[in-house]
Amino acid sequence: MTYRTISITNLNRLFEYIIESKDLFAPKEREDQPGFYRFDRILKPDEITLSYGTTTIPPKAFFFPPEETLFTFSLSDEGAKLNPELEEAPFVLAGVHPCDLAAIEALDLALGQPPADHRWLFNRRRAVIIGVDCTPDEYCFCGSVNTLNSRNPADLFLTPVSGGYLVEIPTARGLELLSSVETFEAGPEHLEEAETRRKEKTAQLTAAFNRTSADIAGVLESGGFGDIWKELASRCYSCGSCNLVCPTCFCFHTDDRFELNLTSGHRFRSWDSCQFLEFALVTGGHNFRGLRRNRVRHRWRCKFLHLYKEFGRVFCTGCGRCSRACTADINMADVINRLVHESENHSETRPGKEG
Amino acid sequence: MVIKNFSSKPRAAFFDFACCEGCQLTVLQLDDRLLELMAHVEIIEWRQVMSGRGDKYDIAFCEGGVVRNEDVDRIRSIRDRTDILAALGSCASIACHNSLRNEWNVEYAIKHVYGENAGDFDLIPVRPISEVVEVDYQATGCPVSLKEFVTVFEHILTGKIYRPPNDPVCRECKQNDYVCVYEKGRICLGPVTRCGCGAACVAHGDACHGCRGLVDDANTDAVFKALEPKSRHTIMEQMVRKNRLTETDLMKKLSIYDPPKKPENGKE
Repeated sequence: MTYRTISITNLNRLFEYIIESKDLFAPKEREDQPGFYRFDRILKPDEITLSYGTTTIPPKAFFFPPEETLFTFSLSDEGAKLNPELEEAPFVLAGVHPCDLAAIEALDLALGQPPADHRWLFNRRRAVIIGVDCTPDEYCFCGSVNTLNSRNPADLFLTPVSGGYLVEIPTARGLELLSSVETFEAGPEHLEEAETRRKEKTAQLTAAFNRTSADIAGVLESGGFGDIWKELASRCYSCGSCNLVCPTCFCFHTDDRFELNLTSGHRFRSWDSCQFLEFALVTGGHNFRGLRRNRVRHRWRCKFLHLYKEFGRVFCTGCGRCSRACTADINMADVINRLVHESENHSETRPGKEG
Repeated sequence: MVIKNFSSKPRAAFFDFACCEGCQLTVLQLDDRLLELMAHVEIIEWRQVMSGRGDKYDIAFCEGGVVRNEDVDRIRSIRDRTDILAALGSCASIACHNSLRNEWNVEYAIKHVYGENAGDFDLIPVRPISEVVEVDYQATGCPVSLKEFVTVFEHILTGKIYRPPNDPVCRECKQNDYVCVYEKGRICLGPVTRCGCGAACVAHGDACHGCRGLVDDANTDAVFKALEPKSRHTIMEQMVRKNRLTETDLMKKLSIYDPPKKPENGKE
């Protein structure tokens, strides 16, 4: 790994250089709601806020939009015509936090495995990603899921140090981009400052799991959490907000929409949620998870057991978005700790393995 | 439910019962696209926009609620004379705020509002048309969403079953990246309300008032639980304090469009 330093003036020059030839998306304060940030198109570098909290919607939206047209169709006498729709222009996504980088990496695994989601792969190739280090809030628990210092798949990673930023350059694409502006070799004092910052960041984390994330699969597999799922289900609205703000959830819903002419239209897909009543409803009317408690249970088992077994990593990056978005106060770290506590203390008395 | 393959251009009509006629106005907002609509159907009756009456219809779009005895006869007669009946909007589908009158008995309400002229009205408890006759297609909303009307229209004309969206408004808020209304310190019925409006009210700075009705397994108990002091989310805490919100206020909010029916709720 190469380390350089860059001044704020030169970083802004870099952003200007990017804007000249490409679309740049970065965290920007919302005009409609000051104090809230979102990844937005940047026209001038001073619109960017690199020291932001957490965005509502994760940056996966740039590769897997909330709703996207898969193709348009028109029916005529010659038959059906399909026009696949893909945006091709390259872009730069700047200001991505370590947890969100880890989420993109996780989705590269899930959506990249055969049969690969070609739209995801296509959009991923369009992007250069610049990461930035963060300051945790009360909902963050990245320390518990090994994403505190995630760098992949960033092409450049910025850590604030005195006078500017320490730049890590993990990829050749990052090096090429950075060569457009003046940077300096990082000295030991810069590395030390970044290390101190990381320690401070770790100390600021208040939410945490009582066990390592890898252990959670075993805990869940032991089963017998019926009472916990029931209690959570009594409070869950099934509003799906937890899934919809999650940086690693990748389930989607597909449907067709016709124009009023009834001969043309488009097929689209949009983000879905396993908490919705009709998520597991199939033709013929059977619903595999018609009970709310089964849907709630599924969310934890999917992220920490099923996907862990398949990909060797939990599909939670500790970003805390779900815990914040759930006004019913179903908190990710709290629930994990309840499950761990239950498995440690009541293993004798618990009923069977179901749940 | 009637599904139909039309052999010739179907004859369509629009009717209204007790309502503000806003759903019909919404359809009129198709503007010049109305011509596209009329390429598929012949409109033979629509009091709001044309003169002329028909007696047999292939498709009848009805908005409004049933509030008088004569409305019962009229909707039954329309049902008898049409192949397909589509309920447009919340009044026709879930009774909407017309049903606020059901909190009082009919005699009291009629005297309170009409005084000595009370005898001129033959009122009955408010019902959506879907509770009086069988409805083949249904779209809630106050008013109905134009996009959903087009979808329903397409489903009728192409002979498909229409399943109204059954996910909560939160889905559309998150997909559109709107800041959560609770974060702004206001109560919102989005978590239990049927989506399909594109979170229109939130988009314009308001909160969801639940006009499209509750989703099928709405956990309204959870909405009350979320307000309980012992288990309050930080955002909820701030919202409750700011609004000095009580359970009664919440119940009132929930009752405007689609009062929660207790026995059907609480499925875990």
